[in-house]
Amino acid sequence: MSIPMELYLPIAGNSVNIVAVFGLGGVVGLLSGIFGVGGGFLMTPLLIMMGIPPTVAAASDSNQIVGASTSGTLAHLRLGNVDVKMGVLLLVGGVLGGSVGVQLIKILRAMGNADFLINITYVLMLGLVGGYMFFESLQAMRKAKAPKKAEPEKHVKSSAFARLVGHLPWQMDFTRSGVRMSPVLPLILGGLVGVLSAIMGVGGGFIMVPVMVYLLRMPMHVVVGTSLFQILFTCINVTIMQSTSNHTVDFVLALILLIGSSLGAQIGAILGKKLGGEQLKILLASLVLVVMFKILYELLARPDVLLAYIGGH
Amino acid sequence: MKRILVLFLLLALALPAAAQAAEVEFRMAPSSITINTFYNGTSLNVEGAVPVGADVVLRFSGAPEAVAMKEKGKALGLLWMNMNTLHFTGVPKVFLVESSVPLKDLGAVGDTLGLGGLTDKIGIEPATADRAMLLPELVKLKKSEGLYREAAGALTPGDKNGSLQAFSAKLPVPSRLSPGSYTVEVFAVKDGLIVGQSSQPMEVQMVGIPAFLADLAFNHALWYGVLASIIAIIAGLGIGLVFQSKGAH
Repeated sequence: MSIPMELYLPIAGNSVNIVAVFGLGGVVGLLSGIFGVGGGFLMTPLLIMMGIPPTVAAASDSNQIVGASTSGTLAHLRLGNVDVKMGVLLLVGGVLGGSVGVQLIKILRAMGNADFLINITYVLMLGLVGGYMFFESLQAMRKAKAPKKAEPEKHVKSSAFARLVGHLPWQMDFTRSGVRMSPVLPLILGGLVGVLSAIMGVGGGFIMVPVMVYLLRMPMHVVVGTSLFQILFTCINVTIMQSTSNHTVDFVLALILLIGSSLGAQIGAILGKKLGGEQLKILLASLVLVVMFKILYELLARPDVLLAYIGGH
Repeated sequence: MKRILVLFLLLALALPAAAQAAEVEFRMAPSSITINTFYNGTSLNVEGAVPVGADVVLRFSGAPEAVAMKEKGKALGLLWMNMNTLHFTGVPKVFLVESSVPLKDLGAVGDTLGLGGLTDKIGIEPATADRAMLLPELVKLKKSEGLYREAAGALTPGDKNGSLQAFSAKLPVPSRLSPGSYTVEVFAVKDGLIVGQSSQPMEVQMVGIPAFLADLAFNHALWYGVLASIIAIIAGLGIGLVFQSKGAH
């Protein structure tokens, strides 16, 4: 008798190889531990390739991220990388923004062409964020080598933004992040990311990380930990919503994935600490750009099959 | 008058059925499929007999359902997007055909017994949809999922016994199977005509852990979602703690 390597997934309605799913979880968990992103952009398409229906793949991935981000948050908490105050503010903003985004997408769907808008938003956001991060980090890395030069243009811009931010009420210290600002700012930014991620149907880690780095001026390592902390709660919400409204969460699949990804996330957190902040940024930027090109390619190339499943069961 | 009519109808129904049942018969093992935790597809062994000289077509099909799909098209003449919503009706979840010779060699009958005959019965809403383009796409999608298949050669002929010829076949059943009522059919085809047919129901049901989880997910969805989250958190915490003790070295 050989040990059974294939397991039947009751909700997905198919069987999968345990080792392959476990390995997939490990790789994605590693990325999530390093960059503080959910990794759904990578996990979902690979699960679909393994024969999991798309809706089940996306929903079970959220369930998996709950476990992985718990493990990742714990690792980052230990390293002192989580700004809980900032995370909660972003989260509250994100939940409010998410509700607005869901309503917005309903209106768009009623008007038709919602998918078109979603995909365009995707490509633009990823291209913009990835491109900006990539060149910004490249410049910073060059500057670190060359002697420092004054940059008057950038100074004016950032001070204008800083003046605006400075006028917001209730200024307070965020000790972990080492910044001082009004809680209104993270609330608003969290809300904006919430709207976007609801429209795009993703966790929002990709947008949230650059927002924390460039607009909230948080150090990269704290950004990663805080992002994971926030993703944890977002994904609990998604898991419960998907379970109740669409019945698309496959718990068995999620559990195997999350054991793999939790292990990966632990290694990722340590690995991320060893890499420099600029290196982390440029790696994440490259990843964002790769995903952007993949989506762009899918938009331009003729699909294999001209039909796609929609909805739950 | 009414009684005679009923009798006539009964006769009309019973006669051809009786004639055919005498010519085609088969047994299958297993007679029902159970999906347990380690289910990874199975194979159906079918043994039976058809009239001498007839070709055999074996079909495993069933659970017709309505499927909503998005049609992909070009937006602005450049970008591929999900466009119109289409509603297909009478789409079987599974449609597996195994025949002694390729279906196309059986002429028009072969086409009706295979995917060609199947797609003729599928309805599409809105009625203006391009059937000639969409139905092959639907079949292509289902084939890529391993749910639709037309194959030849796995049927082996056996001994002749009077006017009957034995056959046996091993039909692979995909792992992507959902519970429900399916049908196994055997057709005998001779000179481009169906000379006999027989069918048996095939029940597929989940047992054990898959059945328990599916029940929880569909009938107690909120609890399922909450439990899935809690267990994920506990697992994440557990692995985090284990890792800490290992990393301390």
